[in-house]
Amino acid sequence: MPKPDKSIDLMSDEQIMEAVKNGNLQQASLLFDRFHKRIFNFLVRMTGNREVAEDLTQNVFLRLLKYRHSYNPEMKFQSWIYQMARNAFADHYQKNKQLKPANMEVEKLHESLPDLTEALEQEETEKRLIRALAQLPDDYRELLVLTRFQHLKYEEVAGFLNMTVANVKVKVHRAIGQLRTNYFELENV
Amino acid sequence: MNTHEWESRLIDYIDGKTTETERKVIEQELLRNEAVRNRYNQLTEIIGAMNEARVLEPSGKLRANFEQALQEEVAAHAKPTKTIFFSPVVYRVAAGFVILLVGLAIGYKINQSNVEADRLAKLEQQLEENRRMMLAMMDNQLSASQRMMGVSVAYEMEKPDDEIVNVLVKTLNDDVNTNVRLAALDALSKFSNEVQVKNELIGSLKTQKDPVVQIALIQLLVKMKEKSVLNQLEKLTRDAGTLKAVKDEAHAGILKLS
Repeated sequence: MPKPDKSIDLMSDEQIMEAVKNGNLQQASLLFDRFHKRIFNFLVRMTGNREVAEDLTQNVFLRLLKYRHSYNPEMKFQSWIYQMARNAFADHYQKNKQLKPANMEVEKLHESLPDLTEALEQEETEKRLIRALAQLPDDYRELLVLTRFQHLKYEEVAGFLNMTVANVKVKVHRAIGQLRTNYFELENV
Repeated sequence: MNTHEWESRLIDYIDGKTTETERKVIEQELLRNEAVRNRYNQLTEIIGAMNEARVLEPSGKLRANFEQALQEEVAAHAKPTKTIFFSPVVYRVAAGFVILLVGLAIGYKINQSNVEADRLAKLEQQLEENRRMMLAMMDNQLSASQRMMGVSVAYEMEKPDDEIVNVLVKTLNDDVNTNVRLAALDALSKFSNEVQVKNELIGSLKTQKDPVVQIALIQLLVKMKEKSVLNQLEKLTRDAGTLKAVKDEAHAGILKLS
């Protein structure tokens, strides 16, 4: 198998997406390599369901191909793809209103965690974290997933959520406060 | 304690986003105020838990499905390429000419000649898109089969332009896959009457290290009766690094050309 060209590795996400837009569709594989785990993890934390998250991630990359002509190269690719992931998530729950993300399949999610031999204590901590996260309103959960689990900067998130950086910070802090309350209430259950 | 305000200050403190003065104020408060200290401990725990949450791995199905969808999209996108690429140039020129004449006639009568200009521009644009598609296939570093397909399309062309010849030459000299290099040589051999192509083939003999391609290249240059490569062939026969099979082919070539 040929080794990927190093010059391609150095290409920015935006340059690659522009090549895809201009008809070099194979380059979309590189964007898949770079982003599929991030998008999957965003969606799995948002939905709490691996299978749904995989379907939605698949949907996001199909949208990337389908709507490639609408990509604006002045926009950060990361913002564009997260925006598509948010839309895919919103569309999914619009269609399936009975499936509230709050009904997260916590146990099922953990069946597939990569290392089940980890200390039980950490398992419990993470399970409780997922439950506490599931109890948050969608917008709070989304902000925490993006900034705390995915480590995006407030500036980056503000860009595609169409909010000011100050507003993102205030809401993230409130979301952490709410999560803290949920998390320690669950401790006593 | 103002809950929101203190919570926010403590989060900034945990994130390391406080000024020096603010940091000292918070640390003093942590020492003397148990409620703030408890809140700090809880926030540290919850923020730590989020930081340490594991990254989940999607199943292999996700990649397989994406690759399949991508190939379908590539195939759908490439369809118009064939119809236009395999048409003889003369038809395209004639079609363009007819369209131009019709356009001129209509334009003369109803003064709308710009309509036909648009259609011609679209035709040209489509041709250009097809050409780009083929070049993109040849440049696909991830898939040898895609590059091979791109080279095969080039092979079908009646007369390639400079850019396509350059890409074929680059493929012949640099591609990591022997089969793709051989296919590029095959495509170039079709245009070996062109001076530029001939020179590139002669140049390639000096740099080729792959014995399979070396042998095919020698056979082609001998078939072309290209006497200017005699020195290079002799060099190959003397070079200790040349494989015996390549040396034999070079010897045979020298005999036929001399």
